[in-house]
Amino acid sequence: MPLHDISYKHWDGVHLGLWSRRLVIARNSLTACLRNRWMRHLVVLCWVAALGMTALLFMIGQLLVADSIVVRWVGNFNPGLQTFARMLTTWLEQHPEISVSTTQNLLFYFFGIYQIRVAIFALGMAIPMLITRDLASNAIIIYSSKAVSRGDYLLGKFAAAFGLLILTWLGPICAAWFMGNLLAPDWRFFWHSRAALGHMLVFGLIAMTILSLLAMGVSACASKEKSTTGLWYTWWIVGGVVAPIALHTQPWLRHLSFNFNFEQIALGVFRLGDDLNTARENIPVFGDMLRQIRPQTMEALTSPALAGAVIASLLMIAAAILVLHKRVRPE
Amino acid sequence: MVPLVIETQGLSKVFGSQRALDGVDLKVGPGSIGLLGPNGAGKSTFMKCLLQLLPITSGSAKLLGREVGLEGREIRKRVGYTPEQDCHIPGMVGCEYVTYCAQLCGLPFRAARQRAHELLDFAGMGQERYRKIDTYSTGMKQRLKLAQAIVHDPEIVFLDEPTNGLDPKGQKQILELVHSLWHTYKITVVVSSHLLNDVDQICEQIIIIARGRVLVHDTLENLKARRRGAAEVVVAERHQELRAACEQRLWPCEVLPNGHVKVEHRCDSLNPLLNLLHELKLAPLELIPSPNALEETFVQALEISHAAA
Repeated sequence: MPLHDISYKHWDGVHLGLWSRRLVIARNSLTACLRNRWMRHLVVLCWVAALGMTALLFMIGQLLVADSIVVRWVGNFNPGLQTFARMLTTWLEQHPEISVSTTQNLLFYFFGIYQIRVAIFALGMAIPMLITRDLASNAIIIYSSKAVSRGDYLLGKFAAAFGLLILTWLGPICAAWFMGNLLAPDWRFFWHSRAALGHMLVFGLIAMTILSLLAMGVSACASKEKSTTGLWYTWWIVGGVVAPIALHTQPWLRHLSFNFNFEQIALGVFRLGDDLNTARENIPVFGDMLRQIRPQTMEALTSPALAGAVIASLLMIAAAILVLHKRVRPE
Repeated sequence: MVPLVIETQGLSKVFGSQRALDGVDLKVGPGSIGLLGPNGAGKSTFMKCLLQLLPITSGSAKLLGREVGLEGREIRKRVGYTPEQDCHIPGMVGCEYVTYCAQLCGLPFRAARQRAHELLDFAGMGQERYRKIDTYSTGMKQRLKLAQAIVHDPEIVFLDEPTNGLDPKGQKQILELVHSLWHTYKITVVVSSHLLNDVDQICEQIIIIARGRVLVHDTLENLKARRRGAAEVVVAERHQELRAACEQRLWPCEVLPNGHVKVEHRCDSLNPLLNLLHELKLAPLELIPSPNALEETFVQALEISHAAA
C-alpha cells in the first residue's frame, strides 16, 4: 500500500503565457545541446578565446598611451623603439577617434569572422538536438498535442540555436569588448569604440538569424542525426573550398558558401575599406605599411559583393523555411 | 442541458484517393466514450482531426464548445492525448519528460514538477521515473503516455489504443486507471480501440466506426439491451419437429449446416422459445441467444473493413 496519497488531484492554478511556453522549448533544446560534453568544452573554449581577445585589446590600449606598461617593457629591450613608441602614442592620444575607433573596428571584424567558424562548428554539433531527434522519435506529435502551435515550436527551436550562437560567438566577443575597454587606460575608450560594438552587434544579429534558420532547415532535412550533421559540415566545407576557386571561374558560385556571404556582409557592415583608407592616410609609419596592400585586395575590401550575399542568404532562408514547412508536421 | 464535448458536422478527411473520414456527424456529451472499429477504420484520424494534428478536408468540428481550427492552443490547453505510437523526447528521464509536457501546457515549473510526480504515482510508476525513457518497457511507456496526457488536468483526454502491446495484467491496470478518470475524477475519456473487450469494460458511450463512417453511436447499456430476437437452439434430434412448431407460430426458422436450429422469435426475452421447447418436451443441449447490437455492429464493422480490403 502506498505511503502517500496517489489519487488524481485537479489543478486550478494560473497558466503561464505563450512566451513562457516558447521559452521552455528553447531552454529545453539548449540544455539538450549542452548535455554533450564536447559542446560544453567548445563553449568554454569560446570564452577562453574571449579572454585572449581581452588581452589583445588591453595590449593595444596600452600602446595608445605614453609611459604605459607595454611601452616601458619595450624600452627594456630597445630604447630606440621606446622613443618611437612614445612618438606614436603622442600622436594616437591626439586622435582617439582614429586610433581607438579604427583599431577596434578592424579588430572586431577579425574577431567576428574568425570566431564565427567556431560557432558554425558548434551549430553542426547541435543540429541533431534541434529538430532531427524530434522527427526521429515522433516527438512532434507530443508538441502538437500541447498548448503550443507549430510556429511556437519553431520559434522555440530558433531561440535555442540563437542562444547557442550567443554562447559561442556574440557573447564572448561582446564580453571581450567590455573587458578590453574596462582595462583600457582611459574611460573614453568605451565611447570611441562604440562604433565597433555597434557594427559587431548588427553583423552578429544578421548572421545569427541567418545561421539559426539555416541550421533549423538542415536539422529538419532528415530524421537521422548523422545525415543532418553530415549535411551541415559538408555544405560548410564544400562552400569553403568552392568560394576561392569560383572567384576565377564563376564568381556567383561563391555565394553557395554561407561563410563567404557572411564575410561580405561583415565587410559591408564594418566598412573595413573606409577604416583602412583612414589609417593609410592618417597614422604615421603604419599608414605607409598599409599603403603596400595590393589594389585588388583593397578593391575587395572596399566593394564587397553585398547584393549577391544578401540575395543568396535570402534564398537560403527561403529554402530552409520551405523545408521546415514541409517536414515539421505531426504526420 | 449537458454541454456537448464533441460536435462534428460532415467531418471528412481525404488522403489522396482514400477517404479516411466520410461525413462524420456526431454530438457527444461528457463521459467515457469508446471509439470502436477495426484497424484502418478512421478512429485515429478522427481523434487527430479533433486535435488539429491533421487538417480537416471538409465539414466542421467543435471540441469543448470551441471551433477546431480556430482556437487550437486554447483547445489543446484543455485536452490530453496519448498517441498510439511511441513519441517521447529522446534523452529525457521520465519525470523530466512529464514536467516538460506540463510546462508546454502553461504550468509554472514548480507546479509542473509537483504534478508530474503526482501523476506518475497515479499511473503506477515508481523509481523508474528517474530512468531514461529510451530504456522503458512497453508497459512503462504506456503509463508515461497516460501521465503526460493528464498532467495539465485536462477536461477531456483522448487515448489511442492505450492497451497496445501490454500483457493481460498491464492491460487490466491501464483500463482501471482510465476507468477511474471519468467515474471518479470526471474527466471525459475518449478511448480508441479495436478490442471490443477493452471498450466494453470502461465505456458508457460507444461510437463504432468503419471505413470512415459512424455505424452506431449509443450508450453501452442500450446497445447491449438491443437484440434482434433470435436464437440458435442446439438439439440432438427432432430438428424438423422443432422447425414445424416454430413455423406454426410464424417464427422464421432454418436448420443451419452445423445442425443448430436458428429461430427468429422476435421477442425481447427467450421465455417464449423456452415455453415452446417445454411444450414439445424437447430438452435443448444449448440455447445461444443472438448477439446484442454492440457485438453485431462490431462484426458488421469488421465485415465492411474486410470487404474493403
